[in-house]
Amino acid sequence: MSENNQLRDVFDAIADPTRRRLIRLLAEAEEIPLHELTAQFQMGRTAVSKHLTILKEAGLVLDRKVGRETRFRLNASPLREIQDWVAFYSKFWSTNMLRLNQLLEEEEE
Amino acid sequence: MSLTLSLDFQFTTSIEKLWSALTDSSKLAKWVMENDFKPVVGHRFQFRTQPFNGWDGIIDGEVLIVDAPNRLSYTWASAGEKHTVTWTLQDLGDGKVNLHLEQTGFSNAQGLEGAKYGWGKWCGELKKLLEQ
Repeated sequence: MSENNQLRDVFDAIADPTRRRLIRLLAEAEEIPLHELTAQFQMGRTAVSKHLTILKEAGLVLDRKVGRETRFRLNASPLREIQDWVAFYSKFWSTNMLRLNQLLEEEEE
Repeated sequence: MSLTLSLDFQFTTSIEKLWSALTDSSKLAKWVMENDFKPVVGHRFQFRTQPFNGWDGIIDGEVLIVDAPNRLSYTWASAGEKHTVTWTLQDLGDGKVNLHLEQTGFSNAQGLEGAKYGWGKWCGELKKLLEQ
């Protein structure tokens, strides 16, 4: 187990569309109680709760009890590495394509 | 699990010329990096650029698919991450060719640790360089 207590692979956690939607919802607010999250989905509270547990295990979501309800918030830092390479290579190849285009144009002349 | 970066580009050229730009080592050097690439399945190659702090500037690859002039695929390993890069060329007619890129990241726990170590820094540095 790694130091940041990640029980689950981040890639695994974000592979599911429901969990990606949960991440997006949580990204828009500071903290959201379970019943408000559940209201956004067709599925029941137990199913949403299971998805949140997986996100929690990947270190993407933190929760705390306030009275009788559980509130969830996003911890985006494990996502950063993933986003970085996608964003980076998107830029990297797009920039290279300008050079490739130039190369091909030179060949036409 | 892995993520895929998927990009499309269009060029006014012939599919043969585009294929050559993707597979000819001296042409690759002009638009990607210095390299010893050969379009031969199983060939191991390196792309090399200036080292940045924490990153050795080396990308190791192995050619997986050579299907001229339509499909080319190779592994792309660097800074603890291993990706697969796949190019698909499609003749659109009228002298236009579509180039589709898919880059898939195989991140195991080890890869992710490696990424945490050097990737972020490298991205920032190379990004700066590319923007100059």
